Amino acid sequence: MITRRRSGIVPLLLALAVAHTHAQAQAADTDPKEALQELLSKALTVTVSARVLPPDAQEETPIWNAESTKLTLPGRSIKVRLDGENVRIYLICTPYLQDDGEVLLLAQGQVWFTESQDKENRYFSTFYSIPVSFGEKVLFFPLGLSDADTQQKNHFNIEVEIKIVPYEKKQ
Amino acid sequence: MCPDREILSAYFDGEIAAPWEREIAAHVATCELCRERLSRMEETRSLLKEEEAQACRAPMERVRRRILAHVPQERQRLSAWRRQVSLPLPVAVLAAALLLTFGITLAVLATRSTMGYIRVTKVPAGGTEYQFAVPYDKVEALLKSMGGADANIESVMTIPKNVKLVPVGEPRMGKANEFPRKKP
Repeated sequence: MITRRRSGIVPLLLALAVAHTHAQAQAADTDPKEALQELLSKALTVTVSARVLPPDAQEETPIWNAESTKLTLPGRSIKVRLDGENVRIYLICTPYLQDDGEVLLLAQGQVWFTESQDKENRYFSTFYSIPVSFGEKVLFFPLGLSDADTQQKNHFNIEVEIKIVPYEKKQ
Repeated sequence: MCPDREILSAYFDGEIAAPWEREIAAHVATCELCRERLSRMEETRSLLKEEEAQACRAPMERVRRRILAHVPQERQRLSAWRRQVSLPLPVAVLAAALLLTFGITLAVLATRSTMGYIRVTKVPAGGTEYQFAVPYDKVEALLKSMGGADANIESVMTIPKNVKLVPVGEPRMGKANEFPRKKP
């Protein structure tokens, strides 16, 4: 029985070795410029914009905003951290290209919040998976989405916008 | 005069007490016939000892096989998980009560915890939202073991210090058209 098994494994190992050698030969033939071009054709630009909106619901001009644009590849995450006096927010976005050409965005938001010295600290971690089209905007409200009632209490709103587009080489 | 067969047999077995034992020994020393009888007795004893061991082995093996044949097959191969244990009723009741108390305590602790939960919900955009909330001190230990929250942070944005932010709910994320009040 052992002899029979060996006789089956040997051709399989030989076939694998041949396939490996063939793959190596093919890889060696690939032009580095072509490989880079291939890589860039799949690259994605992820823009993360953060803004703090005033309590007044009618006022849409942010009192603070910041933007970060990152180049990444499908499956490779980009990370952004927002530091405030009493809050720290982490946003980790990983885009994946789907068969239909759209993007599946996996995002993790972590929020560390301190109310005051004598009150408790809070931590929230949330995962999202959202299928989006190129250029479609995704909004993240790390401290929740305020309604009309809370806006009357003079609370600022913070929101983070995520936009993914294919990478385009600048001419 | 030679002792009769029964007395000689008793002497052979060491059952004759002194002074008769000495008398018989003195006689045997001079009597060829008695020595021959004793010799035969010795041969018989040796023969019996050998045969006893061999003769018993086969019947014992037969009995063992018969017993095993009557034991159900499943019982022989029963794993530790399926093996039945019999407990006195009070012990069984006590064990069940302890388990029940333990379960209820765990459930109460879980519902009382305001900050510890995992929630999975489908979002309107077609995706899935996973929410985790755990006590702060535990998260710090968790992040420490993961290499720190600051690991691999690519961009840092600093919110002005005069902006005091207050949570108004749980974190939310979705496509922009899911939040009609917002016009970014």
